[in-house]
Amino acid sequence: MLTQILINGILKGGLYALMAMGMSLIWGVMNIINIAHGSFIMLGAYTTYWFFTLYGMDPFVSILLSMVLIFFLGFFIQKYIINFVIGASLFITLLLAFGIEILINNLALLFWTADVKSVQVTYGGANTEILGAVIPTVRLLAFLLAIAVSVILFIIMNKTWLGRAIRSTAQDLEAARLNGVNVGNIYSITFGIGTAVAAAAGTLWAVIFPISPTMGGHLTLKSFVVTIIGGLGTMMGPLVGGLSLGIVESLGTNWFGSTFENLISFTILVLVLIFKPNGILGKKE
Amino acid sequence: MFSRKLLLMLTSFLLVFAFSFSAYAENVIKLGCAISFTGSKSRTGKLYVDSYKFAVDKVNEMGGVNVNGKNYKFELVFYDDKSDPTESARLVEKLITVDKVDFLLGPYSSGITIPSSIVARRYRIPMIEGGGASSKIFDKGNKYIFGTLPRAGDYFRSTLEFLTKQDPRPEKIAILYADDKFDVSVGEGAKAIAEEMGFEVVEFEKYSEGASDFTSAITKAKKAGAEATLVAGHTEEAINFIQQSKELNYSPNLLALTVGPSEADFRKALGKDANYIYGVASWSAEMNFEGTLFEDTQAFVKQFTDKFGYDPDYHNASGVADVAIYKDAVERANSLDPQKVRDAVAATSGLKTIYGPVDFMDNGQIIGSSVVLQILDGKVRQVYPASGYDAVYPMPEWDKR
Repeated sequence: MLTQILINGILKGGLYALMAMGMSLIWGVMNIINIAHGSFIMLGAYTTYWFFTLYGMDPFVSILLSMVLIFFLGFFIQKYIINFVIGASLFITLLLAFGIEILINNLALLFWTADVKSVQVTYGGANTEILGAVIPTVRLLAFLLAIAVSVILFIIMNKTWLGRAIRSTAQDLEAARLNGVNVGNIYSITFGIGTAVAAAAGTLWAVIFPISPTMGGHLTLKSFVVTIIGGLGTMMGPLVGGLSLGIVESLGTNWFGSTFENLISFTILVLVLIFKPNGILGKKE
Repeated sequence: MFSRKLLLMLTSFLLVFAFSFSAYAENVIKLGCAISFTGSKSRTGKLYVDSYKFAVDKVNEMGGVNVNGKNYKFELVFYDDKSDPTESARLVEKLITVDKVDFLLGPYSSGITIPSSIVARRYRIPMIEGGGASSKIFDKGNKYIFGTLPRAGDYFRSTLEFLTKQDPRPEKIAILYADDKFDVSVGEGAKAIAEEMGFEVVEFEKYSEGASDFTSAITKAKKAGAEATLVAGHTEEAINFIQQSKELNYSPNLLALTVGPSEADFRKALGKDANYIYGVASWSAEMNFEGTLFEDTQAFVKQFTDKFGYDPDYHNASGVADVAIYKDAVERANSLDPQKVRDAVAATSGLKTIYGPVDFMDNGQIIGSSVVLQILDGKVRQVYPASGYDAVYPMPEWDKR
């Protein structure tokens, strides 16, 4: 029983980590809390749904396509909309992101209706049993893919010129500019990467859960909690935050009941803010 | 398909505006309704909008409502409550004070019905609603609210009764319910009935509305050896619950859900995994009742499906009954006075509708019962009380479907 609960938690945590990764990146580099993050996850999920329904494309293949598509969407939204408020007060950026969220969600409601949809892959209900615990195959695949995407992102951020440019922009804007980094471009690319990772999370979400245009709000909240718990400014933050949240939620709902899921998430959030204000892995200011 | 839906949506928006601005005409009875065109409740809200319109058109086609020898037409005034209870209360007030509607039709969902029914009482305008069944709507001594969904606490009574008739009779039952007003009433009612019938409730758990993860709850039910699991929630949660039960290989003898099985997108989303899932409803298309607006249930189902392109479920039937009740009550009252019509609605006795005969309890809720449904071969069938389709019990294991 306990093994099963832990496995449920870890598998869920992997998905949380991936969801939060994009938000953490955008927040860390641009100091924008992207309230619309969940909407990009939703768009990723719907892209997958349509590729699957119209062309029969397997979600684990179409994940690349949805990432590319949503990358460009994010890139252009940053370049032509968000760019105007870069450096403005937090309140203004929040407001803009909020507006983008409302716009995306309502367009989705208009075009795709509020009907609940789901991606029915043939291996949907398959599972393997190890030591009396059931491991659902899709969740395991989604978990592994989440880890893979995180690792790739980690390598990009640490080993490539682009990654170094992004990080230096986050650390010291002036110094980055002096060294020939085109900050405007870097912002757009970062936002694009952030939304592309959100789309990846959306794809995996669609494989496991049913989707609807209003699914994003709840996921924004979860990503936010994970980002704070893990700590900003480190690539490992979302991973640690996601896994901790997944496991604690699983154990907590088991002990106290499912109705307290959100209470548990936010209690952890408050505890982390009190005892480690910069998150579990966050650096001291 | 896609563009048709879009067109339908645009039309409904246009209708909202058209109705809102239409000038007052002679010999018209205005029925006001604030309901969810957008937001999280819009999916089911649309079912009521369709039904109200369908029934009103039918009444007008049949010559309207006869009051004092004069013929009146029904006219609907719609507003979008955006699935927000506060907005709904505000709009109902606007319907009464600005649009001067004669009577009110209800919104969808218990949570939204509660505040708007209180506004109806404040202005003493009767409201008949087909979309809220929580006891919290009816236990406030509100004399102006009438509901056509049966008592939430009784929803699972027929399912539990069905279980007592099985051999071997199951003993252990798990009950899961969302923490909104309606489902809390359903869950608590089911627990009381189950214990009264001698079942052991091994898991009784509340989850937050909109929850997507049921793995803990399912793991617990599996561990406790629950032979039947009853879930009171919403479509999205229902789909999640079934998918995750399959993922975790949890296959009880009976899995019953309140909302979901009777809805087309539940079956579409789950495909063959939806087979054998049990549902519950105050009405099913297999029933046959004579009606005043339509010849009988079957005639209604056919005309409705022809017009809207989807099979009506109990939401639709309940909505149609609401309009039928108004026609009957206004004619009996022979007046448009809200107080007289309210009294006539309360005195409704055995009114024949395609939804079944209508009588109200003192608190304004319909005296009704629920039937057990099961999805057999992709179709929703009534399996208890018997209607010609045999229930498959216990449900086959997941890999044998």
